[in-house]
This record gives sequence, C-alpha cells and structure tokens, in this order.
Amino acid sequence: MAEQVTPLLRYATVLTCDPHLAQDVVQEVLLRAQQKWDRIGSVDLPNAYVKRMVTNEYLSWRRRRAAKDVALCMTTLESVTPPVADKTHHYDEREAMLQRIAKLPRKQRAAVVLRYYENYEDSEIAQMLGCAEGTVRSHISRALATLRLDHTPEPAGVGLRLGEGLS
Amino acid sequence: MNDTEQLIKDALGQLAERTPHPGPTLNALRRKRKRQRNNIFLIATAGMAAVVVLIFAGVIASDRYAPPNANDAAAALTPGGTGSLKYQPHWLPDGFAEALRAAHDGSTARVWVPADASPEAPHADGPRIQLASGQSYEGGTSQWQDTTVRGLKARVQVNGGTAVVEWKAQDTLFVQVQDVGDPRETAMRVADSVRADSDTNFQAPFTWKGKSADEFSGSSPSDWRAKATVAEIEVGVTSRTPNYSGAPTTPVTARGKQGVVVDGRVVAVQEGSLWITAISYGATKPVDELVAAVNAVEIASNFDTGWIRKK
Repeated sequence: MAEQVTPLLRYATVLTCDPHLAQDVVQEVLLRAQQKWDRIGSVDLPNAYVKRMVTNEYLSWRRRRAAKDVALCMTTLESVTPPVADKTHHYDEREAMLQRIAKLPRKQRAAVVLRYYENYEDSEIAQMLGCAEGTVRSHISRALATLRLDHTPEPAGVGLRLGEGLS
Repeated sequence: MNDTEQLIKDALGQLAERTPHPGPTLNALRRKRKRQRNNIFLIATAGMAAVVVLIFAGVIASDRYAPPNANDAAAALTPGGTGSLKYQPHWLPDGFAEALRAAHDGSTARVWVPADASPEAPHADGPRIQLASGQSYEGGTSQWQDTTVRGLKARVQVNGGTAVVEWKAQDTLFVQVQDVGDPRETAMRVADSVRADSDTNFQAPFTWKGKSADEFSGSSPSDWRAKATVAEIEVGVTSRTPNYSGAPTTPVTARGKQGVVVDGRVVAVQEGSLWITAISYGATKPVDELVAAVNAVEIASNFDTGWIRKK
C-alpha cells in the first residue's frame, strides 16, 4: 500500500506545493476511491484515474480556499522535510523559482507540473485537466511568461566581485 | 529546453524531495476505514455518546454552567457577514431542497440535495445540484461541448453521472448536476431557469477574527453547521452535539467554560444550544492556539436558517 501511496503523495506535494495539504488531498481521494473501487478497478488505468482524482480534488472549489491560505509556505515545507544545506547560487534560484511557481493560478500551476514534472504531452494534460489542448498550451505559455518575467538572474560575477572587495 | 524550463524542472524535483512519509496518511486511512465500518454501531450509540461528551464537557457536572445571556460578555452577540447570493434557479427536480450556501471572495455556491438526504449530502457522492457564481468550473475530465443558456454562449461537459454547464452572464456561472436522472438534460434545464436575484442572501452565523463564516449547511433549520478556515484551522459553529465517542478526550477551558480537547486536534465547547469547535487542519496546531481560535468566535445575533432544506 505504501508503494502506491508514496507516488501519489509525491505528485500531490508538487501539485499543491504544500506537504500537509498533499496528505489531506491524497487521504480524501483514497477514501473515496476505496468506496468506488468496483468502478475504478474496472477502468483501463486505475492508477491514472486516481491521479486524476487527486488533480480534480486540488482544483475543486472546496479546496480552493484552504489551498489559497496555505500555498507554499516555505516554513511549512521545511518543518516537514528541511531542505538539505546547499549554499550554491543554483539552489537559491530553485527556491526562488518554487516561490514563483506557487503563486501561479492553479490551473497554470497544474499544467506546469504535468508538463515539467510528469513529462506529459499536451493531449495527456488536456485529458487530465478536462480542457482543450489549446487551453493547455495557453496555460503553459502564460505560466512561462510569468516565470520568465520574474526570472531576473544576477549579472554574472556580481558575487565574485563582492567577495573580492571584502577580502 | 531553455534555462527557465530547466530551472522549473529542477525546482519541482527539489519540491518532490520534500514529499511527506506515507505513514501518517496510511494511519489516517486505516482509522477512517475503521470509523466507516463502525458507523452503524456509532449511530446506534449516538445518544449514549452525546451523554458522554456532555459529561466530559462538564455541562452536567458543573454548577457554574449557565446558558449565555445578554449581559454575558463572553457571549456577546455581533452581526455576522451578509452578502447576496445573486442568483436563483427557478426550476429544480422534484424533491430537491437547499442544503448549503457558501460565499468567499466574490464567489458563491448553493447546493440542493434530496430533502431527506443526510447532513453530509452536500459534500458527498449521490444526488446533488450546485449553482456557483463568480468562478469557473475547475474539474472534470471530459471535453467541453458548446451550447447556449438563454441565448448566451455556454459550454457543457458530461462525465459519468455528472454534468456541468458553464456560461457567462454578469458573472461566470456554472450548474453541476450529479447522479440525477439525465444529468445533462437536468443541468441545462436548471441553468435555463437561473435568474439574477438580489433577495437571497448569505448570512454568516458567526465571524472569526473579522472574517465571516464562509460555508453554511444543514439538514433542517434546527440542524446546521457553519465553518470558516484560515491558516490550517477550521473554526465551526453547529447546532448538533458532536460525537467524539471512541476518541481520546481531555478537559480544557475555552470561552470561560469547560470544553474538551479531542484526539489532540479538536477543541469543542458548548455555548447555549450551540457547539463551537476549532479543528487543526493539516499540521497539528498547539491546543492553546485552538482554544484561542474558539475564544475568537463571535456568534451573530440574527441569522436565518429557514432556507435549510427548503426548495
């Protein structure tokens, strides 16, 4: 059972940007899935179906309020699994990118996660999100535009020059 | 793949490393499964459980308990939030009655279920009809098909026993029909009957730290609950005596009365005929924080429950 729950939790964590909310979403979905297992077990890909239930649960209006209030609080994330110490510049960039991803509208964020974490094709994302492929491309295009707009890397060598000045 | 896309991949990969251990989720599932199996037994013993809770709460044992009165500062009544629900369906299938109203950040939702459905019906599988405004439908796995609602451009999707019709009037609206006859036909007919309505209001039964309760549901005018969720704490006010049988409970003082802590994550206290609860939602909050949340609840002096289970 744990082998089946862990991938779902991992997906939900990336989707919600919040481990606590991920636990909550997965727990609720699995309870519902158990009640309907006769039906779900008969579909072609039951695991994919359950993953879609997780996506829908995250996007549903009942979750919107709670997720809005807690989405990607870094202290929450770190209280669950503190990040491994990593002082590199790239690490800082990843953290900053995570913060920006967490601020994306929910459907854009879900599309980004499915494209860049799950490596889904547009058609698969469209099926998962219940929208047209064109809408998926629009979500991802807008998300990338936002993330690029915010992505203003430091000029090369700034850190080095400061270090040189201090020494 | 450019630098931004690579950085997104790296960032999401890093986030995935913070996936929580499955243990707590598995344990919670086991507990809930067990609870479901015991449901019939619990219903049969609900009366007894209520007495147990009352004893724990000190309501019976404590001589100090008295119902709130107008001069009791702790029970001071204040106006709750009120807002228009804006839209009203003028046709629903026979036997359906309103069971839930919600309002949050300009979005509203109303849910109708069969008049004799359980209190949980608005959130459960089974027959239900929802009208939402100020928000798009964010779910479903089927392709949308174009349609019209009273001449306005609309779209509809059917997924098993659920159909959703979404259209844009003054606000974006959608009707979702679940497990009702022909769901598409029903959803279209309900949608066609929706009209703007300034008379139907959402009256929050309580406020909490300046925020109104945002969801109000029930199975009759005398059996209802309302809740608000902020930062992982769900605060609720209900007319129903909660059933905490089988869960470990300890006494606690909240709102100047004796209440209970249940399973380390719920604080409940009775005030007059109502119960006020704070539930740790997600990470477990310290009991002091839950008590403070309960203390901060201000019950509205005047709110309407007559709409509950009324067509």
